[in-house]
Amino acid sequence: MSAQTSNFMGRQGFFVVPLLLALAGCAGNGEGLDENGQPIPITPPANTDFAEIQATIFTPICTNCHIGANAPQGLRLDEANSYALLVNVASGEVPALMRVNPGNPDASYLVQKLQGNNAVGARMPFGGPYLAQDRIDLVRRWISAGAPAAATPPNQLKVASTIPGSTEVAPLGTSKLTVIFAGDVDASLATRETFGLRNGFDELVPLAGVSVPAGRPNVVELTLAQPLPQGTYQLEVRAEGPVALADNAGHVLDGDADGKAGGDFLMSFDVAAGETK
Amino acid sequence: MIGVNQWLRVVILAVVLGCASQANAEPYLAAQMGLKCVQCHVNPTGGGMRTVFGNAFAQTQLAAKKIGGDDDLWTGQVMKFLSVGGNARANYTYVDVPDQDATNEFEMEEARAYLDFGVIPNRLSVYIDQRFAPGNSTNMEANVRYWIKENAFYVKAGRMYLPFGYRLEDDNAFVRQVSGINMQTPDEGVEFGMEQGNWSTQLALSNGSGGGPENDKGKQVAARVEFVQSAWRVGASALFNDTDAGNRSGAGLFGAYRAGVFTLLGEVDYIDDDSIGVNGRKLMASLVEADWKIRQGHNLQLAFEWLEPNDDVDEDEQTRASVLYEWSPIQFVQLRTGVRLYDGIPQNDNQNRTQAFVQLHGFF
Repeated sequence: MSAQTSNFMGRQGFFVVPLLLALAGCAGNGEGLDENGQPIPITPPANTDFAEIQATIFTPICTNCHIGANAPQGLRLDEANSYALLVNVASGEVPALMRVNPGNPDASYLVQKLQGNNAVGARMPFGGPYLAQDRIDLVRRWISAGAPAAATPPNQLKVASTIPGSTEVAPLGTSKLTVIFAGDVDASLATRETFGLRNGFDELVPLAGVSVPAGRPNVVELTLAQPLPQGTYQLEVRAEGPVALADNAGHVLDGDADGKAGGDFLMSFDVAAGETK
Repeated sequence: MIGVNQWLRVVILAVVLGCASQANAEPYLAAQMGLKCVQCHVNPTGGGMRTVFGNAFAQTQLAAKKIGGDDDLWTGQVMKFLSVGGNARANYTYVDVPDQDATNEFEMEEARAYLDFGVIPNRLSVYIDQRFAPGNSTNMEANVRYWIKENAFYVKAGRMYLPFGYRLEDDNAFVRQVSGINMQTPDEGVEFGMEQGNWSTQLALSNGSGGGPENDKGKQVAARVEFVQSAWRVGASALFNDTDAGNRSGAGLFGAYRAGVFTLLGEVDYIDDDSIGVNGRKLMASLVEADWKIRQGHNLQLAFEWLEPNDDVDEDEQTRASVLYEWSPIQFVQLRTGVRLYDGIPQNDNQNRTQAFVQLHGFF
């Protein structure tokens, strides 16, 4: 052993050993946790493709990085945010592509990033190991089926996400709003009576149209008569009153998310110059 | 043209004077030499394009052997006001996840080119870091940097990597994952810095959107301060990100100690992120790295990392132990090989994988 080596292992070790002990630790034994490192839930997760994607891909793998306020590209893939930030949301790296384009997996940036083709930057999950083909096929199958949200309990219709999202800032000139439901909507009820938009003076903003796009029965699009000027707005989806939004089986919207049918869905957002969503 | 001996004099002079005339982000090299990051990198916080000094170091100090004559030293300067640089990493990776078939593949980890337009020498520069592979071309950094007071202070504005802890080459290091600040997440904003004497400090104000488009009115502040001595260094980092989804704050300590041919680095970071889940989440990560410069051009690295992904949940911690060998046979070429052993909760196979790799790294 050289003099430098023995010097390092001897006298300097006095400093090194405590530092190693201070910084090092052991892996957890996982007692009482599920495979995602969370306490075992009392009720099992819903058995749908999206729930499976969340439980086996997003939560255990992707949220190592894609979580919290500093998530890469602003894409948070924890259970509370993943759906709203993926479906019909433009990719940050290639804005011409939706992260998830319902019904079209090949044109979904998520699939391109997982497959490692045509994408910008590194294949995901970053640094590997990359997803097994059956996991990628699961994502493709979910998108091909229209990217439906995770299952909700029977007899309930809920709002899954909106574009723009709650408390988000939309760019000046926004002329279309999108509401995505966790279930198919009765298209005959998607009208100006069940959907409304109010400005900061509590005045109704004229809507040019309310429609359910072809092939996407869980989505309602609101086309505005005029692009929105700067201000604060409130989107309303009505589940109370003479006409209430419901699904094809007649289940009325649970707008206030109290677990019971009824209660209007209310969501505020801002429109401002220089901001994008 | 100047020879190797003259270059060595320049190197020594630069070290002695601590001047900021400005190799890939490997903090252990800076710690081995007792230098600041700015000594070898155009970015005062390290990483990316190398300075004249950094290129000279790569040829005369890092490589086991220099090929070519003494007059063939690459400086990066291709013309009076323009410097260029680049990095390419080609990998062969083997991954063994429990209860799954092991996989192996060749992959291009990255290919990047750097351009630095020194429009007013030693004062004003326009810097571009463009990644060409994998996938399509994308910009990683594009900023304007202006030095004042004889390179003691600077202001930088544009798209940049943020200052926090060590700028490690490995973006999968737990400390870089937890902080969310790494070389995959450049952000747009402005950075003020001071490189004076033994001090290196940076303060950055940015969108705080992880490299994505700004989606709220809040901004992120990240700061880093480091005190550098020839045999040791110590530093601290802090960040605060004000977002509509919740505030995110964090702090970290880092340091290094050199004893002869051995260098020891450490970093520990703590993040409190209110934007995760209903109650927020507190995360912690640490890194201990030991490097042994066996002889010029040969480095053995041992690293141990620890991750606490959620302080409110017991027994969910993860660790990663790595052994890497770096051989730099000639200038601008590195052959790197290593094994990383992940250890996490037994329910999650991915957290218990083993990865091995061989990497050919070319840079200039």
